[in-house]
Amino acid sequence: MAQISVEQKAVPKRKRDNGFLRFFKQWDIQLMVLPALALIFVFSYIPMYGILMAFQDFNIFKGMGGSPFVGMKHFQMFFESPEFMNVMRNTIVISLLKFAIGFPAPILLALMLNEVRHMFFKRLVQTVSYLPHFLSWVIVSGFVVSLLSTDNGSVNILMEKMNLIKEPINFLSLPEYFWGILVTTGVWKEIGFSSIVYLAAVAGVDPHMYEAADMDGASKFRQIFTITLPSIMPVVIIFMILAIGNLLTAGFEDILLLAKNPVLRGVSDVIDTYVYRIGIENSRFSYATAVGLFKAVISVMLLTIANVIARRSGNSLW
Amino acid sequence: MRLRKKSLATSVSALLAAALMLSACAGGTKTANPSPDTGDKGSSTPTEAVSDKYVLGEQPLDFSFYGHYDWYTMPTWGEDAATKWIKENKKVDVKAINSQGNAQQKFNTMIASGELPDVIWMDRNSDVEKLRENDMLVPYDDYLDKYPNLKEWLGEAGINMLRSPDGKLYQFPNWYTSQPNGNAGYVVNSKIYKELGEPKLETTDDLTKYLEAVKAKYGNTVVPFEPGIEGQGIDILYSAFKEDALTRWVSIRGVPNGDKLTSIFTDPTYRESMQYAAKLFRDKLISQDALTQTADQIKEKVMTGRVAVYAASSPTENAMNAHAELVKKDPDAGYFMIWPIHKEGLDKNKIFPGTYTQLGWNVSVITKAAKDPEAIFAFLDWYTGPEGQTLLMWGPEGGYWDGYEEDGITPKFTEKYVTDAAGLGKLQADTTNLQWNGNTVFIDTAKAKYESTLPEEERNWSTRWQYEVTWKTQANATEFITLDPAPESEEGIIRQRVEDIYTEARAKALFAKDDAEVLAVLDKAEADAQAAGYEKLLAYKTTKWQANLAQMNGQ
Amino acid sequence: MVRLGFGDRFMMIMIYIFLAFLAFVTFYPFWNALVVSFNSGADTSLGGVTFWPRDFTLENYEIVFQDKRLLNGFGISVARTIVGTITSILVTSVFAYGMTKRELMGRKYYMIMCIVTMYFGGGLIPSFMLIRGLGLMDSFWVFIIPGLVSVWNMIIFRTFFAGLPNGLEESAKIDGAGNWGIFFKIILPLSGPVIATLSLFTAISHWNEWFLPSIYINKEDLLPIQTILRQILNSNIMSEQMSNLDSASQAALSRMQSVTTKSLSMATMIVATVPIIMVYPFVQKHFVKGVLVGSLKE
Repeated sequence: MAQISVEQKAVPKRKRDNGFLRFFKQWDIQLMVLPALALIFVFSYIPMYGILMAFQDFNIFKGMGGSPFVGMKHFQMFFESPEFMNVMRNTIVISLLKFAIGFPAPILLALMLNEVRHMFFKRLVQTVSYLPHFLSWVIVSGFVVSLLSTDNGSVNILMEKMNLIKEPINFLSLPEYFWGILVTTGVWKEIGFSSIVYLAAVAGVDPHMYEAADMDGASKFRQIFTITLPSIMPVVIIFMILAIGNLLTAGFEDILLLAKNPVLRGVSDVIDTYVYRIGIENSRFSYATAVGLFKAVISVMLLTIANVIARRSGNSLW
Repeated sequence: MRLRKKSLATSVSALLAAALMLSACAGGTKTANPSPDTGDKGSSTPTEAVSDKYVLGEQPLDFSFYGHYDWYTMPTWGEDAATKWIKENKKVDVKAINSQGNAQQKFNTMIASGELPDVIWMDRNSDVEKLRENDMLVPYDDYLDKYPNLKEWLGEAGINMLRSPDGKLYQFPNWYTSQPNGNAGYVVNSKIYKELGEPKLETTDDLTKYLEAVKAKYGNTVVPFEPGIEGQGIDILYSAFKEDALTRWVSIRGVPNGDKLTSIFTDPTYRESMQYAAKLFRDKLISQDALTQTADQIKEKVMTGRVAVYAASSPTENAMNAHAELVKKDPDAGYFMIWPIHKEGLDKNKIFPGTYTQLGWNVSVITKAAKDPEAIFAFLDWYTGPEGQTLLMWGPEGGYWDGYEEDGITPKFTEKYVTDAAGLGKLQADTTNLQWNGNTVFIDTAKAKYESTLPEEERNWSTRWQYEVTWKTQANATEFITLDPAPESEEGIIRQRVEDIYTEARAKALFAKDDAEVLAVLDKAEADAQAAGYEKLLAYKTTKWQANLAQMNGQ
Repeated sequence: MVRLGFGDRFMMIMIYIFLAFLAFVTFYPFWNALVVSFNSGADTSLGGVTFWPRDFTLENYEIVFQDKRLLNGFGISVARTIVGTITSILVTSVFAYGMTKRELMGRKYYMIMCIVTMYFGGGLIPSFMLIRGLGLMDSFWVFIIPGLVSVWNMIIFRTFFAGLPNGLEESAKIDGAGNWGIFFKIILPLSGPVIATLSLFTAISHWNEWFLPSIYINKEDLLPIQTILRQILNSNIMSEQMSNLDSASQAALSRMQSVTTKSLSMATMIVATVPIIMVYPFVQKHFVKGVLVGSLKE
C-alpha cells in the first residue's frame, strides 16, 4: 500500500511549498482516507486484471495466463451482431423512461410527505411504501403476471366491468404495453425506498426558514419551491449525476421476469439481458467481459459529461 | 476536455499499479492452484486397488457432492429414513456442496481454482466433455466388471453410447431405461367431457370442434386448451401431424431427412402444426397466457377444474393431484388421459407426443479430486442396484416391504404400503431429491408387479395412465442426444443465434393474425437463421447424430 | 398555526388522497403474501386467496421454525448485518469526511479512483481468486471486509457533510481541536439523518445480500437466511427451465420438484424479511425536522 501513497502524493500541484512536506503536515486527514483507499485498491483494483479477458479467448481451464489474446474480436462481434442496434435502442429508451419517471417520483413523494402534519399517517405511508423493495422480483413478477392475466386477472376484470373493453387485453404479450408496465412496476417497487434519502435531506432544512416564509404570507405551495427544493438540491444533483452514469443499466431481473413472452424481445432485450443470455448462460466469458467493458466506458463518459454540467451549479462529484 | 485527459491519465496509472500488484499476486495464486498435481494423486489410487474389490460398509466413505443446477439443494444426508440407514449400515456420508441458485458461476469458480467436488451431478452436455478433455474426470472402465449393477441394468449398448471420444466411460447415468418411459400427452377434464356428450376425440378436427364446443358452452370460465408452461402443449401438437414424428426434433431444431438433419422452419409438419396452433390461439381456444403464465397459475387452473384439455410434457403431476381433489367433491369430476390426437388419415399407433432416451436424464461424474474414486463408484453402483433403489423408494426393510419375491430382488410390499400412503409419500418426497442414479426399469417393474394385483380403482392415477397410454406413446430418441456444440465454438455461437431466432419465431407464429402470417414468420426465421449459419450447425448436428447411430449399432 | 389558503388546502387534500392510494397499492402484495402464508398450502393452490386466509393454519410457520438451517441462517444474518453495518458506516463516514477537506492532497485523484470502481470491475473469477488467496473462503469475514468501504455511501456522506454549516467547525479549530476530534465531536452528532439513512441502507443490503455466500460459503452453518430463502424460491421455478428435456426426463424432474407449496414459500419469505423491515420505523425518529438546528443551539 505504500506504493500508492508514494505515487499519489507525487501527482499534485508542484507550486507553493514542498509537496512532500505538505503531505506529512496533513497526515491526520490523509489517515482518514488512505486506509479506505487501500481497501478499495485491494478489493476493486487488484481483480481488475480480469478486464483483459475482453481481449482474449478466455479458457477457464487454462486460466488467463494460458488463454490467447485476440485483440478487439469480441467487441467487433458485439457491434456487428444483428441484435446490436435493437439492444442499444431498448437500453436507451427503457433507461431514459425509467430516469424520466423513476428519478423525480421519490423526490415528489418526499416533498409530499414533508407537507403531511399527521405524524402517524406520515410514518405509516413512509413505512408501507417501502415494503415492495423487500419483495424479490420473482414474487413481484408473480403478482404482476397474475394481475394482468387474461384469465381472471384483476385489471382485465375491472376494465370489463367498467365497460372499457369487451375482450381481455393480453397486456404481457403486446409490445406496446411493455415499457409502461416495466416502468410502472419499477417505480412502484422502489419509490418509497428511494425517497428515504430525500426525506433525510428534508430533515436537515432549518425550520426557521419556513416560519419566516409564513410571516411573509408565502403559501405552502410556494415554500416547496422557494425553500424545500433548493435546500435538498445538492443531494438531488449528486443523485442525478450518478443516475446519468447508470443510463446503460436499464434493468435485468425485472425485464427477464416480466418479458417472458419471446414476442416482446424486440422491445425488451437490453444489454444486460443480452449479455446474460449470450455470455453468462453459455460461459462465454470474454464476450461478456467485452460488452461489460464497453458499457463501463460509455457510462464513465456519460458521468463525466453530467459532472461537468453539474459543476456550474456548484455541486459535482469531483 | 482538460479534465478528461487528466482523469484518463490517473485511471491509466492506477491500472498500471494494479497490473504491477497483479503480477505479484498471480505468483501467489499459482502455487495455490496445483490442479494437475492433485489429479495425478487421485488417479494413482485405483491402479493400486485393482486387485481387491471395495466392500461397502467395511470402511467409512465420505465424499462431497455438487448438484450443478440452480434449483437443486441436496437434502441433508442422514435426515430421512433411507439415508440414515445408509449412514449407519454402510458408513457412507455425503457432504453437500450446493449451488445456492448460482450454479453456473459456482461451477466456474470451482474449475478456475481447481477445487472440484468429488462428484458432480450434471446434464449430459459439453461441460462433461470439457472436464474430461482437461483431465479432471475419473474413467469407470476398470470398475465396470467388479461392480456389476450398472452393466447389468444399463446394458453394454447403453454404456457404449455414454462413452467419450477417447473410448472410456466417465458418466454414471440417472433414470436410464430400456423400456418406454415418460408422461407426455393429453389430459381431459371428465366433467366437461360428459357434459358435452362425450364426443369422439381422436383427430385434430375432433379436437378443434371439441374446443369450440367448450368455448361456446363455458365462455371465459374454462380454458379450452391449456398448453402448460412455456406452451409445451403446442410442441406436443407437432406429433399429431405426421406418423413417427418426434417432438424431440423440435427441441433439437432439426428434422431428419434421409441421413441429414434439415431446418425446422421449412419442415412441412412443423409449419402445419404451427398454423393449427396459431388458429386455435387466434380463436381464443388456447390459453392466451400460454407464454407468460407461471407454474402456480397453471396448477390453479387445473386444480379448480377450469381446463378442458391439458397437454404438456409431464401433465401427470398436476393432473393426479387435481383428480384426487376434484373427485372428493364430485365423483363424476376429475381427469383422464386420451390416446394422442392425430391428423385425419394417419395411423394413431404411430403418433408419439413424447420421447425418452435409454440413457435417461443426467449423469454423475467422479472427479480426480476424489481420494478413492473406486469406493465412490462402488457406492453409486450399489445405489443404482436393487438394494439401493428399494431403500430409496420404499425405505428400510420392515416398513413398507419385508423380504423379497422369488426373483430375490423385488421387494414384497406389506400392508403398510397401502394403509400408510401418506407416510410413504413423505418418505419419497424426502428421498426423490437424493435419487442420483435412478434405475427406471427396476422401479417400474417392481411397482407394476404390485399394482397389477390391485383393482383398477385403487391404482394410482398416474400409474394407470402410464400403462394405458403414455408408455405406449413415447418414442425412443436416444439417437438424438448430445448434438449440441460447445458454446464458444463457431457452431456454438451459431446455435445461440438460431436459438434466439427460433424462440422468437415460435412465439410470433403463435400470435400471428392468419395462416399466411404464420408462414411468413417462419420464412423470415429461416432466412435469418441461414444468414447466421444454420446450415453449418445442422451439418454439425448431423455428424453427431450419425456418430450416435453408429455407436448404437455397435461400431 | 398559520391558516391555509384555498390553494394550499386543495393541495393538501390531493396529497392525502395520493398518499393513501400509494399506501394501499404498496401494501397489498405484502398483505397478500402474509395472508397466503397463513393459508393452507393445498387450499392456496386453488387460487383466489386475497384479503383474508380462507383455510387458516399456522402449519407453514411451524414447518419454517422447525427448520434448523433457517434459524441458524437467521442468526448469521443478524450478526453480519450488525457487524457489517457498524464497521462499514464508521470506515466510510471517516473516509467521506476526509474527502470533504479541500486541502486534502490528491483529493480529486482519490475521487476518480473511487468512481472508476463503480463502473469497472474484473469480474467474478479474479475476485474469487483474490478472496480465496486472502483466506476468506468459508469465513464470516467475507461478509464484512470486502464491503467495508462503499463508494456510493461515501459520496452521499460527503454531500451531506458539505452541507453542514461551517461555523462550528471553524470555532472548534480555533479552540485547538484536531480533524479527528471535530469529526467525532461535532460532525457525527450533527449528522443524525444521513447516518440513520445510510445505516438503514447498509443494513438492508447486508440482510438481503445472497451472492457472496452463494460463491464463497460452502459451510451450511454460515449461510445467511436470504440464501436459504433463495434456495426455496428457486426450487419452485425449476419447472419453467426444463423445456428442452425429453418427456421422460421431465417426468423425473417433476418428481424431484420441491414439495414446497406457495404458502410455505411465503411463510419463509415473511420470516426472512419482517425483521429487517422493522428497522425503518425505529430509524424514522431521526428524520424529525429541526434535529439539526436543535443541536446547533446547544
